[in-house]
Formats: sequence, structure tokens, C-alpha cells
Amino acid sequence: MTGALVQAVQAMNWTVLGYVVLLDAATLLLVVSGGRRVLANRRWSGSEGHDHLFASPLTPAISVLIPAHDEEAGILGTLAAALGQRYPSFEIVLVDDGCTDRTFELVREAYGLTPVTPHWTADLPVDGEILSVHRATTGDPLTVIRKATVGRRSDASNAALNLARHPLVCMLDADSLLEPEALLRVARPFVEDPGNVVGSGGVIRAVNGSLIDRGTVLEPRLSSRWLVRIQAVEYLRSFLLGRTGWADANALLIISGAFGLFRRDLLLEVGGMDAHSLAEDAELVVTLQEHLRRQGRPHRMVFVPEPVCWTEVPETWTVLGRQRRRWSHGLGQLLWKHKRMIGNPRYGAIGLLALPFFLLFEAIGPVVELLGLASVAVAAGLGVLDWGSAGVMVGLALLVGTLLSTTVVAVEEFTFHRYGGKRSLSALLAAGLLENIGFRQVHAWYRLQGLFSAVTRRTPVWTAMPRTGFSSASDDRSPARVSAVGGGL
Amino acid sequence: MSTVEAVSIAASAVLALLVVALLVATAVEHTGRARRAARTARRRAELTPLVHALLEADDGVDAPDVSGSDPLLDELVIELLPQLRGADRTALQAVLVERGVVDQAGVMLSSRTAWRRGRAAELLGNVASGRHVPQLVALLADPVADVRSAAARALGRTGDVAAVAPLLAGLAVRPGIPPGIVGMALLDLGTPALPALRAAVNGPVPEARPLAAELLGLHGDPGAADLLVEVLADVHRAPVVRRSAASALGRIGSPHATATLVSTVTTTGPLEVQVAAAEALGRIGDPAGLEALTSGLRTGAALVRSACAESLAAFGPAGRARLAAHAVLLGPTGAAARSALDTLDARALGRRPAPVRVAA
Repeated sequence: MTGALVQAVQAMNWTVLGYVVLLDAATLLLVVSGGRRVLANRRWSGSEGHDHLFASPLTPAISVLIPAHDEEAGILGTLAAALGQRYPSFEIVLVDDGCTDRTFELVREAYGLTPVTPHWTADLPVDGEILSVHRATTGDPLTVIRKATVGRRSDASNAALNLARHPLVCMLDADSLLEPEALLRVARPFVEDPGNVVGSGGVIRAVNGSLIDRGTVLEPRLSSRWLVRIQAVEYLRSFLLGRTGWADANALLIISGAFGLFRRDLLLEVGGMDAHSLAEDAELVVTLQEHLRRQGRPHRMVFVPEPVCWTEVPETWTVLGRQRRRWSHGLGQLLWKHKRMIGNPRYGAIGLLALPFFLLFEAIGPVVELLGLASVAVAAGLGVLDWGSAGVMVGLALLVGTLLSTTVVAVEEFTFHRYGGKRSLSALLAAGLLENIGFRQVHAWYRLQGLFSAVTRRTPVWTAMPRTGFSSASDDRSPARVSAVGGGL
Repeated sequence: MSTVEAVSIAASAVLALLVVALLVATAVEHTGRARRAARTARRRAELTPLVHALLEADDGVDAPDVSGSDPLLDELVIELLPQLRGADRTALQAVLVERGVVDQAGVMLSSRTAWRRGRAAELLGNVASGRHVPQLVALLADPVADVRSAAARALGRTGDVAAVAPLLAGLAVRPGIPPGIVGMALLDLGTPALPALRAAVNGPVPEARPLAAELLGLHGDPGAADLLVEVLADVHRAPVVRRSAASALGRIGSPHATATLVSTVTTTGPLEVQVAAAEALGRIGDPAGLEALTSGLRTGAALVRSACAESLAAFGPAGRARLAAHAVLLGPTGAAARSALDTLDARALGRRPAPVRVAA
């Protein structure tokens, strides 16, 4: 009996280890592929024709849509960065989605908002009542919609889409800071391949701890909080190299809602953002791919591997848990809704590569990883754990994870090396190691909870992340000592 | 020890070695980069006075000898070139020719590496090298999209009108060159390209027709007005070409086009053409267009109504009066008029001078 139990536990542990190694190896492959693309792109640096695009009257105009719910901490910085874009023609549509703080008052004071009669350009269904529409009197191309919230970001995005006037729309988070050439960089694929490109995403990086002045990231720095540092490595892996790799395989599943550019006509064609999705950004990309592939129309989702958008990441485990549960819940919804695409060759690389990967490793991942931990704990509790084998397994899993994190940091160091500070490199490397010890396991627990919510079809609730906001360099007389969110390194 | 365990231990050892190798490479890059950056900054600072001397050379000062200078000088000059015009630009172009950089770039156009071909094309465009136009034209058929785009941009900067035909033809082939890139290159070529653009509006390449019409408008070519009026009036032409013709007529601003534009707004036809015609009437500002815009505001489709309202707003007091008369109406006509008036008011508030603060 005991022998059979030992064998079962061992088999379970080796299976879980195999799964973890396979997951990390697949991610490593993506990272290496993304790294190669990033390095190749860097060689073109200075020859991309950005000045040409900026000067061209043929460059398509962009409507930047910013849904905001209680964003008083950083909204002025976000707007300053968005309005300061080096782009020939754009407008900003900010949605005050039932803010209970001073978000609207701050914007009204800063931009002299005046009520106007709206000029609707589309009639997507919006559940929250539109209360009023305002326009800036400072000469800035800013329109603000005030609406009652229904607790869904997608509802606010659809309201903004109804007012957008330009052929391209950019989705932007209200806690994000764009670099001055961000729009120019993500719009470039639309200019260069207008017949095929339907969406384009940019890199998202953690801004916490950076030196900021009026919406401009003067000096990117790592936060002194380890939770933020770990997320910085995580963002580099998933949002820079992972997505570059997926885009290279023509299987990009997610263009972040924090910063993505789409063709407006196609968004209206698919009915705007899914009102009930918690992962409306991924949902939109998959819906567009499904819609266009079914109709046999050309489509290409592009990822621009340049540092373009800085965003606030959670600084506490509680907020992180809330965010990751929501992401996991949204992923579950997405996979269920598009289950017919999974493994379906009709949908190309998305159906055969990306969706199966997200199902096997992202959705089911936490179940397998936590099952593995539980099986080790049970075996230890029953006294049947072979400590030698366990050591070998844990060592191998840790080394694969560490190789992955080190590769990510190495690519960052050889290419962008954006985080300043004397100890940023060692801090990133240490964060990469720590990610595998503790963070990964807790993260798996959050994801499992989100998956459970999706499987049990719980009503999705979108909760805004508490913001710390961006502090200004001028807040302190000694810029070298100034830090923004969470303190600098 | 089982076989699986043995394999795992061996794999762990390999992984550990890889991690250590990566760590060492990263640390070397980290420490080396700061040193390299400092060295480059120092050299750039040393070379900057030399670049200034080169720029001052045409003001009666002898040009310094740069034949044996640091190769970093070429980088400095290439960076500076796109920001310069006139004599300064010519002086620096001559430096690059003298130092053999242009010839070297000509050779690199046939490099096996895509980014080298692209960068070489970019450089030749910046120095406006007319000697390499045939090679750049050949690169319009390069298998790499970025190289094709770089070659198209470069051709625009060479100022050689011989590039117009291949650029327009590049729109029709697959894989071709994006209209945005071709358009900008043709704009860069300036007014010498106008005859070729006029011909392209009715030319053999269908993909080139709307772009050619649009570019004639962006150039503000009054000589093309009659041609564009004909295109707009021809209901058998593709709507995309008619729309571009209408927009172009608005940009050119010729009142000769008013009658055809009025007819387009008031006659049922493709929405996009009607909208463009309404916008063009607003740009031209000919009082003869007021009636048509008012009619469009009352009876047009939603998009046409909005375009008419915005065009009336652009007409000044006469258009504003008509909008005010309709703003009291219920329904979509009133809403469009009110929206246009509100936009005018918001803009007027923005133009108001800031209040003067009086000290207590």
C-alpha cells in the first residue's frame, strides 16, 4: 500500500516537474525569439522614418480614449503626457466613469472645461447614462464625457468610441504615461501596411519609483519594493519579449488595454468592446482576429518592441491579488467564449499556437503547479517523501525559472537598459530569482481563484486599482532624491 | 539514483552553467557600456567644434581638413543632416562625399543584410544623392518591407522626378510600398512632380489615382482644379477617387469648384464623397455654397449633416447665423447645429487672452 502511494506521489511530482519545465522552456523560446527581434529592430534605430511620419499630412489621425474611474492621483500626469505627444493630428477623449473623487474637478480646472453638445459618431450600446460632455477651452484637443458607472471599463470605452472622430483609436489607461513618440511608433505599422494592420500594441513598463515631471518620465528607476521589482521583470518577460515573440509568430493574442491602437471602423464593426469581459483587451484582439479570418479579410496584429508606455503596478499583495484574479477570470471567459478557435487550423497560428498555449499554461497552469506543491506537502506529511528526488526536482525547476529571468534581464541590459540607478541590474537579477521563490506560488493561488470564478460563472466585477499617483520632480528641491510611486532605488 | 534523476541532475548542471555565463556576459556589458558611453561623449564633444567650423566654411572661412578625422565625425554629420537646409546642408553633404561615406553607402545598397541596405538608403536620401537613384529604384522591389520604405523615402529626398513613375508603380505591385510612404516621398519631390501627378489621376495604375488626387490637393495645385472637378463630376469613377478629388478641391480653395461641390452635396451619391464635398465647401468659403450646406444640414444623412454643420461653422458670421437658426430645432438637425456652435464657442474661449492679474 505504502509503496503504491509513494509511486503515485513520485509520478505526480515528476509529471508536475515536467509540466513546469515545459512551460518555462516554451516561455524561454518565446523570450529568445522576442529578444532576437528586439535586437534586430535596434539595428534600424534612427532609420525608421519617424520624422517623415510626423511631418506627413497623410499620417492618419488618432483618437486617444482614456476611461477613468477615481484617478485623481495621476490623471493630470496622464493627460499631460498624452497631450504632449509628437504626432501630427490627434484628440483625447477622457471618460469620467462615475468618479467619486476629484478627477473631473482637477481636469476641469486644468483645462477650463466647458459643456458642449456632443457630436456622436457611432451608436454603440452604452449602459451607463451619459451625464454631460465637455471640451477644453485651453486649445488642447481634449473632450471629456461624464457618465454614470456600471462598474465596467468596457462600457466607458464604448462611450468614448461613440465620440471618437478619427480613423485610428488608441486605448490608454488613466494611470499610464506615454513617451513623447509613443503614438508615432505604434502608428507606424498602420502607415506602412495600411491594408493589413488592424491593431498595434506597445511595450508597457512599471513606472513605480521613477522620476517624473508633469507626465514625463525623466529617469526610469526601479522601485525599492521587491513586489514591484518582481513585476518589472515579469513585465519585461511577458509584455516586452513574450509579446514580441508571439507577434513574430503572427499569433499575438493580447494588445494591452493600457496602450493599444486599433482601426476604428473595425472596432465598430465588431460592436465595440465586450461589455461583460474582464479581459476586454485580449477579448477585442481575439474577436477581431476571429471576425476577419472568418471573412477571409487580411489582418495583422503588430507589436512594437519599444519602451513607450509607463504604468503603475500594484504595490501590495492585496491589490496584486485583485488584479491577477481579474486577469485570470477574464482569461477563463475568453477561452470559453472562443473555445471553437482552440486547436482549429482555420484560425492559423492563433488557433494552433496561442490559444492552446494560453489554455495549457496560463489557464490550467495554476492548477497543476499548486497540485504539485500539495502533492509534495502530502508526501512529506505521510513521511513518504524522497527528499533526494524532491531536491533534484525543486533544483531543476528553480534553475529553469532562473535561466528564464536572467535571459530577460540580459536582453534588457543589451538593448534598452532603461532602468537607471547603480544597483538596478543586481536588483533586477535578484528580483528574477525571487520571482521563482514565493511570488510564483502566491501568483498561482491568485490565478486559481480567478479561474474558479470563471468556471463557476461568477458575475464579473471590475474594481479599480488604488492609485498612488505620479509625484513631480518639482515636488522636491533635490531631483536626485525625488521618487515617484513607492520610492526609487 | 533513477535514470530520470540522473538526467535531471545533468540538465541542472547545464542550466547552472548557462545562468553563470549569462550573468558574466550581462555584468561585462553593464560595466563596459558606461565606459564606452563616456568615451563616445568625450569624442563627440571634441568633434563638435570641427562640425561648427565645417558649417561656417561657406561664410568665407576656409574649410578645415577632415580627411583623417575620427569616423565618429560621419555619425555626427549624418545625425545633423536632416535638421539642416540650404547652404549648411550642402556643406555637410560635401563632407560626406569627400570622406567616401556616400560611395560606401552606395555599395551597402547591395548588402546581404536588410538593415544595412535600409540604413544606406536612408543615408543616401539624407545627402540627396542623385547618383544612386537607379539603385534606390531597384530597392523598391526589395523583399524586406522596411528596406522598400527606406528606399521610397530616400527617393523623395533626392529631388529627382524620375522617381515619380516607379514610386507610383510601387503601389500596384505585391509586395509593394504603402501609400503613406509613397505619398510622403512624392510630396518631398515638390512641385516638379506635379505634371506626373496630374497624369496619374487618369493614369493606368488604379491604386495611384486617389493618392495622386490627394497629393495635388496637398500641394494646393490650382492647375489641377479643372481636372479634379471633372473627376468629381464623373459619377462612374470610383468613390475613393472622387472623395480624394473633393478633398483636394477644398485644399486648393478654388471657387471654380463650388458648383460641382454643391451638386455633389445635394445629389444622392456615395456618403464619403458627399461628406468630402461638404468639408471642401467649408474650406473654400464661397458664399455660393451656403445654401447647399444648409440643405445638407436639414436633410442629409448623419455624417453629411455633421460635415455640413462643421463647414457652416467655418463660414464665419453667415454660417453661424444659419446654425443658430437651426440650433433651436429638436432632432438630429438641431443637435448637429448645437454641437458645431458649442465647438466654436469652446475654441473662442481658448483664443481669449488670459485675464490680467492686478496686484492688490
